[in-house]
Amino acid sequence: MSPELTGALGLVALVILLVLRVPVAFSMFAVGFVGVWSLGSLSSATSLLASETFTLSSSAELVVVPLFILMGNIATVTGLSRKLYDAAYAIVGQVRGGLASATVVGCGGFAALCGSSVASALTMGKVSLAEMERFSYSPRLSTGSVAAGGTLGILIPPSTGFVVYAILTQQSIGRLFLAGVLPGILLSLLFILLITIVCTFRPSMGPAGPSTTMSEKVGALVGALPIILIILITIGGIYGGIFSPVEAAAVGAALVILSGLISRTLSLGDFWIAVRDSVTTTATVMLILIAAHLLNPFLALSHIPQLVGDFLTGLDVGPYGVLALILLCYIVLGCFLEGFAMLVLTMPIFFPVITQLGFDPIWFGVLVVLSLEMGLISPPVGVNCFIVKSVAPNVKLSDVFVGVLPFWAMMVVALVLLIMFPQIALFLPDSMIG
Amino acid sequence: MTLLQKVVDGLIRLSTAFGAAALVLVALNILTDVIGRLFGAPLAGAQDISQMLMVLIVFGGMALCDRHGGHVSMDVFEPWFPKRMNAWLDAISALIGAVIFAGIAWTVYESSKLSLMLNLATNIIQLPKAYFQWALSAFAALTAVSMLLRSIRLALAPADEAPEHTEEVL
Repeated sequence: MSPELTGALGLVALVILLVLRVPVAFSMFAVGFVGVWSLGSLSSATSLLASETFTLSSSAELVVVPLFILMGNIATVTGLSRKLYDAAYAIVGQVRGGLASATVVGCGGFAALCGSSVASALTMGKVSLAEMERFSYSPRLSTGSVAAGGTLGILIPPSTGFVVYAILTQQSIGRLFLAGVLPGILLSLLFILLITIVCTFRPSMGPAGPSTTMSEKVGALVGALPIILIILITIGGIYGGIFSPVEAAAVGAALVILSGLISRTLSLGDFWIAVRDSVTTTATVMLILIAAHLLNPFLALSHIPQLVGDFLTGLDVGPYGVLALILLCYIVLGCFLEGFAMLVLTMPIFFPVITQLGFDPIWFGVLVVLSLEMGLISPPVGVNCFIVKSVAPNVKLSDVFVGVLPFWAMMVVALVLLIMFPQIALFLPDSMIG
Repeated sequence: MTLLQKVVDGLIRLSTAFGAAALVLVALNILTDVIGRLFGAPLAGAQDISQMLMVLIVFGGMALCDRHGGHVSMDVFEPWFPKRMNAWLDAISALIGAVIFAGIAWTVYESSKLSLMLNLATNIIQLPKAYFQWALSAFAALTAVSMLLRSIRLALAPADEAPEHTEEVL
């Protein structure tokens, strides 16, 4: 049997296992191991299993994963999200649609503490949805802003999506983090613009909240000051070249813990839950990464990435046409596959094509992560929509999905802007790292 | 079976505690290094320590991750399958997982013999890699046993077991 046919059968087996609900990591392990065995030998498959498992598990770069997850988990249990929301609310809450805009700002701020979109949507949803309901906001606008705002978690650094992309494609985590900042801000502004336009033409969807006095504004900002300082120190430390991403993650985690202890919002029980959850989430992420490193050699041996690359580059659509096709694949796959799994499954196939076409891998990373964000709110598996639904049980799921549609369209706008102006993503890494 | 399950549950709690302690130690280790560097005295071998503790973090929490249904799977088609079929698929998935983790435990243990023979160690402070490979093997074996027990339990009472949730990581 030719390597190409073996590779194709392997991919078919992978799809069957995924459809049969075998966990993504297990499916990749099984197909990768059997594939390397069939195209190489049993001893090469067992050696690969042992070496990749230990090498990935003891990777110095990947220490960033559990530490940033810990930072986000501690921030969640200590209620830092509430303070972020209060500060954003104090500034923009009194204008039409202000509460929804404050939610987006709060999500963006929380995203800078935590690399998870789901955590952002969940924590900010708990804080903001009740407030928006109290002020008679349209359920579609309120749930849409939380679900879409939550997706900023994987674009604004620190981002688990960027770490995984960096490891899979051997790019710099620091450069990717820098590259995510301006697109994250751009997307937040697009969301706010959308909310403002909607509420201008249909004021009943997002009435203005009560105005706050200057002292209330100052009080809310002072309350959020520790979080703003932590974000400035950790993320600013990476940008300033003071910390590596791993060091920034450790410093950030320590500062969040310190903040929780000083404000007496972190009990021993909460601390244990946050650490335990960080360890188990790390296990989830790392197992998929290890499995990807077993599947990739199989795909390489079978020449599948080369075949797909030859096919795509052979199409008479030009480099940007190929890029559009790849991004379209991500958007369609995002409707069915969990984003993280989609990243590890497709990167070995698409990444060589992108580099062959001469596109910047850091810029492509931002486009891919933005596409993953779209998947997080695309039916039928838009996880953030389900998360929001769980926090707002009185709102119909169909309303949540309708509510996110305009935000999804804004993501398309952001994607187009990023393709037209790659400097939005590349300006910071190019100017600060070179 | 119940006694074995209790023993396994206890060991899972212990392995998670190891993983959690390792995570706290990694944070302290890097923090000490960063503060030390400010005063011109960075911690020697901080990266070595972090790298080896990372092994405990990743595999220490693996069994609990599985117990909490933390492995990402594609659930789009779940509502289309009959309940009994879903229960059997869960049992088969757990069995596949048990085989994979048993394979990891065995291959990494075999690899540790080579590490021991060649005295493989970390770069700066020469932490022996074999010790951490043993830990990885032990945690992986525990995960394999836990998954095997779950698979048997699901196979014996497939219709009564509720499908486990999937954890989202992004």
